[in-house]
Amino acid sequence: MDLLIQFLTNTGFYLADYRNIIMLVVGGVFLYLGTAKNYEPLLLVPIGFGVLVGNVPFFKGFGLGIYENNSVLHYLYFGVTSGLYPSIVFLGLGAMTDFSSLLARPKLMLLGAAAQGGIFFTFVCALALGFLPKEAGSIAIIGGADGPTSIFLTAKLAPHLIGPIAIAAYSYMALIPVIQPPIMKLLTTRKERLIRMPEMRTVPKRERLIFPCVAVFLCCFMAPASIPLLGPFFFGNFMKECGVTERLAQTARSSIIDIATIFLGFTVGASTQGDVFLTPKSVGIFCLGAIAFSIATGSGIVFAKIMNLFLKEKINPLLGAAGVSAVPGSAREVQLMGQKEDRTNFLLMDAMACNASGVIGSALAAGVLWSFMV
Amino acid sequence: MTGLENISAHNGWAIVCVGVSIVVSGLATLSFAIAQLHKLLGLWDNRRNLFQKFKNRKENMESQETPVLELSLDVQENIRNFKLLTAKIGDPFSLPKLIEYSEKCGLKSPLSTINTLLTAKVIVPDGNGYFKWFN
Repeated sequence: MDLLIQFLTNTGFYLADYRNIIMLVVGGVFLYLGTAKNYEPLLLVPIGFGVLVGNVPFFKGFGLGIYENNSVLHYLYFGVTSGLYPSIVFLGLGAMTDFSSLLARPKLMLLGAAAQGGIFFTFVCALALGFLPKEAGSIAIIGGADGPTSIFLTAKLAPHLIGPIAIAAYSYMALIPVIQPPIMKLLTTRKERLIRMPEMRTVPKRERLIFPCVAVFLCCFMAPASIPLLGPFFFGNFMKECGVTERLAQTARSSIIDIATIFLGFTVGASTQGDVFLTPKSVGIFCLGAIAFSIATGSGIVFAKIMNLFLKEKINPLLGAAGVSAVPGSAREVQLMGQKEDRTNFLLMDAMACNASGVIGSALAAGVLWSFMV
Repeated sequence: MTGLENISAHNGWAIVCVGVSIVVSGLATLSFAIAQLHKLLGLWDNRRNLFQKFKNRKENMESQETPVLELSLDVQENIRNFKLLTAKIGDPFSLPKLIEYSEKCGLKSPLSTINTLLTAKVIVPDGNGYFKWFN
């Protein structure tokens, strides 16, 4: 009888409190959004299920929890805290990115730079709300609209906030179709939305091959702290473009990135415990995340309008919204917004150029923030 | 601490200014570099033609200069004669005296020869109003 009582008191049913229940509901919501509504399923499904698994109540000391040494989840979580999974994801991203459109129109890179203004604006806002500088840096990187970058920087600066920041970052990436279009419409006129981009030149293979070498040299020399992200990113791209390592590039952009995404999402979800997630800080993080996204979108658009004051060949300002790193969601929204005004206006390739630039810009900003905070 | 006080206490403004500058200048530099990339590759592809053009231009420049340095046989003979004269006058020598002596000796076109020697820097001023042979 004693044994039975001991067993029952160790079950999750006995140990559960209201915070576990709430987090289980949150995990269920993510699963629903990912599976039924198809909102970023590759991210929300692992995160959602991770939240479910990570918030099952258990008796501490058995080596079960994600924060307990020698537990399976803890070993898997190492990839998050060390920044390993984001680096691997970036390797795969580089192997699937085509920089031709960016190489054909290099001035679009400036829109990617401008969109990172959301990061620094949010940094100041987070400090104003009373967050510590490292916490503010982690929250601000949500404005880069890049999940792996957000997780990487948060793991380095404020690992206790990984859960809410990752969930905020991925949630807002999934909500791009909701967040960006009103801002794009507010900041542009119909005449500007109708601007057509001229046809791009064909970029030869040699340029696409030299670009990752030049880019890694320039970016990593400028901000060495961005090496863990930009190094694998451009390596993956080089593997793709050189043509002699197609097998490796194919593996990087399929199996490797998928494995990293599964473990990244699952362990981030599992690390999101009620005592950290259900706090006023999380509300602040979610609010600041929305600000970061909005300002990033707006600053890209406004910068494009400023550039048009000096350019003979005008840029469609909608492209500024694609300067955030949310590939390919924001590029898709730019294309859709452009086509709403003119069905024959195809902005997708130019928007992808801005997207690619945003990936580089957000990784660079993360490296800069990390080097400032260390 | 919250508000502007917290921002100032943690160097928020400086971090933002420097951070934005680094990110923008980094991407602007990269943008400039890739804008020049296809031009540099074009130059590299055309390097043989360019090298040939550069070589031809250099040869043209040299051939334009050499008439000054390539002295005719008459001038070379006159140089030998002038050297004999300056040996008598003394080194450094006065140019009017050299001209006077060369006319007396009946040397062909002394003024034009001296002009050629001055232009070719075979005869150079010594800074005191006299001239000497450049060795």
